[in-house]
Amino acid sequence: MRFLPLLVALAAAYAQNGADWPHYGGSQSAWRYSALDQVNTGNVKNLTPVWIFQTGDYAENLQSTPIVVDGVMYIITPRAQVFALDAAAGRVLWQYKYPTPRPGRPGGMTFMQNRGVAVADGKVFFGTMDNTLVALDQKTGRETWKVNVDDPKQCGCDITAAPLVVKDKVVVGGTGGDAAHRGYLTAFYIQTGRLAWRWYAIPAPGEKGHETWKGDSWKLGGGALWMTGSFDPGQNLIYWGTGNAAGDFNDDDRLVPDGKGKEANLYTATVVALDADTGKLRWYHQEVPDDVWDFDSAYECILLDREVKGQMRKLLVHMNKSGLTFVLDRTNGEFVRAFAVPEVQTWISGITEDGKLVGRKEPEAGKVVSVCPSLTGAKSWNYAPLNEVCNDITATPTEPQEGRFHANGSIILKLPPNRTTYSHVDAWDPITGKRMWSYPYKYILLASVLATGGDLVFTGDPEGNFFALDARTGAKLWSYPTGAGHRGSAISYSVNGRQYVATPTGWQQSITGSQLAPLFPDQAWRGGSALVVFALPEGSK
Amino acid sequence: MRAALLLLVPVLGWAQNLQNVLKQGEQVFNKSCATGYCHGPKGIPAGAPRLAGRGFEQPYISAVTARGVTGTAMPAFAGSLSRPDLTAVVAYVAALNGIANPTIAPMGPLGPMAPTPPEQQLPAEAVRGRVLFYDAVRGFGRCATCHEINGVGISVTTPMVKLPADVAALRALTTPGVSTVTLAGEAMPALVVSKASRAVVFYDLTIPPPVQRTVDPAAVQIAEGSGWRHASVIGAYSDAELEAILVFLRAAVKP
Repeated sequence: MRFLPLLVALAAAYAQNGADWPHYGGSQSAWRYSALDQVNTGNVKNLTPVWIFQTGDYAENLQSTPIVVDGVMYIITPRAQVFALDAAAGRVLWQYKYPTPRPGRPGGMTFMQNRGVAVADGKVFFGTMDNTLVALDQKTGRETWKVNVDDPKQCGCDITAAPLVVKDKVVVGGTGGDAAHRGYLTAFYIQTGRLAWRWYAIPAPGEKGHETWKGDSWKLGGGALWMTGSFDPGQNLIYWGTGNAAGDFNDDDRLVPDGKGKEANLYTATVVALDADTGKLRWYHQEVPDDVWDFDSAYECILLDREVKGQMRKLLVHMNKSGLTFVLDRTNGEFVRAFAVPEVQTWISGITEDGKLVGRKEPEAGKVVSVCPSLTGAKSWNYAPLNEVCNDITATPTEPQEGRFHANGSIILKLPPNRTTYSHVDAWDPITGKRMWSYPYKYILLASVLATGGDLVFTGDPEGNFFALDARTGAKLWSYPTGAGHRGSAISYSVNGRQYVATPTGWQQSITGSQLAPLFPDQAWRGGSALVVFALPEGSK
Repeated sequence: MRAALLLLVPVLGWAQNLQNVLKQGEQVFNKSCATGYCHGPKGIPAGAPRLAGRGFEQPYISAVTARGVTGTAMPAFAGSLSRPDLTAVVAYVAALNGIANPTIAPMGPLGPMAPTPPEQQLPAEAVRGRVLFYDAVRGFGRCATCHEINGVGISVTTPMVKLPADVAALRALTTPGVSTVTLAGEAMPALVVSKASRAVVFYDLTIPPPVQRTVDPAAVQIAEGSGWRHASVIGAYSDAELEAILVFLRAAVKP
């Protein structure tokens, strides 16, 4: 029996088994797992860099997940420069540069970040800082179509997540959940770029769930779907996590009078299942009713089949920013289990058997309320390890202005007392919620975790080391200094029978990365924007 | 003695005013700058750099606050903060940088005078029209899906110069710029952007939002005219709403 880290389980049907890395999450079940096993616990010590690619776009770090299809790697930079590279040698096959984006609304929530492309139907799809969804020709890198999804000047939002291709459509959300904005997913036909459907996270008047919003707050109530969803063809459902309600730290303007203690501000901080063809809501499970901590539930939905109480179940495992992790039946949304992964947790005193929050410690207007974890997340937006960071929240109710930041307060990040390590790579049984091992680290870890069939777990640290742990024990087996801090998402793939492990590098210069760095003032974590690719020496096994 | 008192009174008044402005500046700072994602309270570092104790001069603080920093998340606040708020927050950040007597806006007997943003000068019906024009609740059915006015909205069409006389004319617009593009056997209403030897670029207007297509010139036929009508994309609005939008456009569109 073996355990893979961070909720990655072993039902082979949903893993990424082939040579490629065709989707953002490896597969559309979002495991971030490669079954390749040429590199394993026995030979990982021989792993060596084989090529390096400098993107030349140093506006931010390199956050995107590379996509590999048929020996070609597709990677996007923060300014939406797209490169097609020979995945075995790093040679540029074509490159594309998105024109200077239209500036966003002053004081809005637009970010110079891009977390990946999607590749399908001979096209490469990505979103931009000015909310354009672009389709390039996969062979030449020339634009085939592009469509504006929203006006950044008005919504104060942008697209940072990799799109999800679902059959004949490409589905994309957007940021803006901490601005006065109403979140949505939009689906376009991959052939023509024409609109297929849009689903709003906040129901309009007359729709079920609308009654959970006070007055007109539904129009600007947040709920951004700012990460990438999952798809189960067997259920014909797409699964997505939604962001927090806005304003973040105070609910005066959005909570109905008797709204405490029940579902609130639907469908924010919720996991939703939508019909893949129509975008109609099939089921939902709200994780953080009346979210007043910015604990949005926007993260990946991991799909796996596992036995629960002697019965094989089709499950969805989902962690939100608080580190609460929910196990749901993905056919109907039925609650199976929930467990909390942070070591320091003060925002609630616990959860009930059916996953309800107990002992909520809520921010209060004009007062300083300290809660753990912080809004930077027990885990960041990517498949990152766990961080132990708290924040002092001061709630300040403000009037929402469309497209402008609407946090309703401010925070100061703090390290919890009496600790010497502030992050850890963990292996958890995704069904029982039992921690199998933990690899502690003295600072904070913000790069994704990659698991492989060679019983290896890869990630990188802010000091610049890319390293491998034994997936069965958490023992460190290998480490390589790549020169810049790690914030991206590593992948594994093979070309002509040779397995590669590729990691983006560069410490994040803006939010999260630079929010957390001042907690360790003696450190100077380096930015950058390079892809470093490793393999075993040629001819070795 | 009497002279000293006379001197002292204005000084005290100025100091009191400075304290008020700095207090106002702190409030603006906490609301607009110390958001956790950006700067921290009292200028400590958070998502964005430390602002306190950096040795910044007031003209520099003023310029950066008003104009922003290109290529970063620091926005230009000149358009979004009122003049007194801008002055107050600049004075507050100056104080955080050890400037004991920052320059503050002159206070008239009725308080600081701020220029009113242009949209606030619009009559009520035009303001209603402006809200409708950009109405996010209508999704891609809103006017701003294809039209840009004063820098907001998506400029799919060329700028408006001539406005329809009334709602009936607005609905009946045929828009002579729309052609018929035939691609892979499918005819579609299109706004042609460019025709070069390497590529034809056009907006497919089949369903909002318009999709900008880039195609091989050999793959398309372009014919003058189209059955497309403006009426087909403004169905989200009632006649009364369109009337209000026309009032807004008459006020906002400069011929």
